[in-house]
Formats: sequence, C-alpha cells, structure tokens
Amino acid sequence: MSTSTIAPQIAQFARAVRDALSDLPEEERDELTEGLEADLTEAYAEDLANTLPDPVEYATELRTAAGLPMPAKGASWTHGMAEAWRYARRDVMRAVRSNPAAVHLLDFAGSLRPAWWVARAWVASWGVAALFGGEGGFLPTSTLFALVLLVFIVVSVQWGRGRWTFRGLAPLIVVGNVVAAVLIVPVVSIAQDWTRDVEYAYYDQGPGDLTGVYLNGEPVTNIFPYGSDGTLLRDVQLFDENGRPLATAVEGADGCIDPECAVTGQWAPRVTEDGLTSFNVFPMRMRPDDGGPVVDRVPPFKKVSPVVGKVSANND
Amino acid sequence: MDATQLLKGVLDVAVLAVVEDEDGYGYDVVRRLRAAGLEEVGDASVYGTLRRLYSAGALTSYVVPSEEGPHRKYYGITPQGRSMLEVQRKVWTEFSTTMNRLLQEGAA
Repeated sequence: MSTSTIAPQIAQFARAVRDALSDLPEEERDELTEGLEADLTEAYAEDLANTLPDPVEYATELRTAAGLPMPAKGASWTHGMAEAWRYARRDVMRAVRSNPAAVHLLDFAGSLRPAWWVARAWVASWGVAALFGGEGGFLPTSTLFALVLLVFIVVSVQWGRGRWTFRGLAPLIVVGNVVAAVLIVPVVSIAQDWTRDVEYAYYDQGPGDLTGVYLNGEPVTNIFPYGSDGTLLRDVQLFDENGRPLATAVEGADGCIDPECAVTGQWAPRVTEDGLTSFNVFPMRMRPDDGGPVVDRVPPFKKVSPVVGKVSANND
Repeated sequence: MDATQLLKGVLDVAVLAVVEDEDGYGYDVVRRLRAAGLEEVGDASVYGTLRRLYSAGALTSYVVPSEEGPHRKYYGITPQGRSMLEVQRKVWTEFSTTMNRLLQEGAA
C-alpha cells in the first residue's frame, strides 16, 4: 500500500482504529478498514488535530454498522487497560481543546516532537553502546555506533511520522517512550561524566610538562660533552636538527647541586654575544639558593675514552 | 427521538440509493448522502454499512490504486442489490405513507 501522502495523524488514527478492531479475524478487519486512510484523508483534510474523533468510538461505529459483534467484555486485562488509557486520553484531549491557551501549548509541544524522536533514538543507541561496552559519551566514537545511532534516528523519525509501522508497534512505542523518558536524564548525566573523564584522560597524556630534553622518557637535566680526546668540554652550544636550542631547563627551573641534594639551586644560563640568555650551553652551571657564586656541576666522568682515528673536516 | 436514530434504520436503503447510478468510494458515498440532506450521517456508519451490504451480496467492491495517495475502495451495486433496493423502496413508501397519515391525524 502506498503511504506517501498520508498525514501522520491519519495513519496513527487508522492504526488506532485497527487496534480497536483487533479482536476480529484479520481478513474481516482488513476488509472493513481497507481504503480507510483515503477516506479519512478526504474527510478530515482541513483541520486534522481538532476534528479527528476518538478512534475507539469510531471503530465501534464502524463495527456496529457493519453488523459485526462487539468484543467480549473484559476479554483480557490488557484490553481493559488499553481502553481505560484511551478514555483517559480522550477526556484529557477534550479538556485541553476547550482551553485556547492549552491548545497553543499543545500545538507548540507538538512541534517539538521531531526533537523527541531524535532524543529517544539517541537514548536507545546509547543503551546499545553501553551494553556492548567501550562507549558512553554524548556521541559515538566508533563508526559502528555512529551507524547504529543513525539507523535508530531514521527508524524513530519514520515511526514518529507514522511510517514503517507494523501490527503491535503502537504499544511498543508507548513502552519505549516511557523507558526513554525515564532514562534520558540519568543517561545525559552519565554521558556528561564520561565525556569529562575522557577529556581528563586526554589532558593527562597531554604535552603540558614535556618541556626539556628526554632520554627514554626520563628528563635530562644536564649534558656533559667530551671531546675526541676524551676530556670534558666547556660551554658547548647544542642545537637540534632544526636549529632549535637544545635546552634542558627553563628560566627559574631548579634542581640539586650535589648528588645528596643537600644544596639546591637554580640553573644558571649563559649569555651569548648577541645578548641572548642561552639555556643550551653545556655543562649547565647552577646558582645556589643560598646566594653563593655560580658553581659547576660535578661531571659523571673526569675523562672518557678517546675516539679512535681522525675524521677530516670535509664539509668546508 | 432525533433524525440520527431514524437514520439507523434506513441507512441501508439510503446507501444503496446513492450508489444505484454510479459507483463510489467510502467518503464519496458519505458526501452524496450529506448533499442529499442527511447531514448528520457519520462516516464510520457509512463505511460499516457499505461493508455489510458487500457481505450480503448487495454490493461489489474493487480497489483503485492511486499513484500519490492511499488506495481507494470503490463499491458498486449488484443485481441482488438492485432488487433489495426495489423491495425497500416499496417498504419505505408504504411505511412513510402510513406514518404521514398517522402523524397528520394525530396533529388534527
């Protein structure tokens, strides 16, 4: 059956009428309601929300006129519940319609329905994602769950518009809406916490205090260069492959002067002739906190093994 | 007593009468009845009546697909329906004559 131009209200109404006739044999019910959408569309084309009657009363009229029996009273408790719910809803709708302000409010709330269709799809996909683990933020991080969310939204919106329906969907939607409405606040709160945790984790790994020079993950505090003859060099300026000063410390950085850390001090940079304060001149010296003169750091080796052979400077 | 109550008894013949010359779909039949002056007629009553007359063999039905909208179910009268209509016409004529006379006498 083509459903392309059936208004959602009409489709919903026709569905409710069929539900109210669900006690009839399927063939009988289908015969009775075939073409109903077309007739309703024409009959209620002008003002859908205000003129559509109560679907259950409508179904009863249809049924009696067709000479078909009424359902056995109290056939099932669910039917009784459904009936009570329909009557309650009808009474509320009647009360609302007699109040212009309420009509406007209802109209406004009605225009927000698409947002709810998306929201409930989000809650559902969040639930699925949480069930399988690894997800829990506002938006899916994996392609799979992004796809799940997308599919859920499409289905939810189509249902909301009265498309893609099947028998028994209406009560399913009611239950789903209730569950989604109950869950949405806690889920938003959990998703918020999750997102914040992820951000914290990201900051923890962030490059915040990675200034300086590292060797296998450990910060290098000083560098002792030795010449080819194995003796300690002094005031060697070091740069990396991009010409950036290889600085192990920054202005104000402090450390231990002796191996036992009895005396502490601040790293003392050198000054180059062009007036720059240079933290890349090694070995770095330190200025003790007690105000004494700048001192050398104790080198790890007095002398190291000389380099074998001579390399001629062939770059010039 | 109001017209709605009276209508229930005669809806069958009214429906048969409006499809006697031309087939019609549900709301089409409702519209013809309303145009004829039966403004109170409920659409669900008419659809149910059409279905019942079909089950009784007085009407045939066929579905006309629509390219854009939902399908329409048309009803047409059968020979059995025509004879039913003829019988009920006579019954109604006699009944209404009787009632008119009765009510006129009562008023006098």
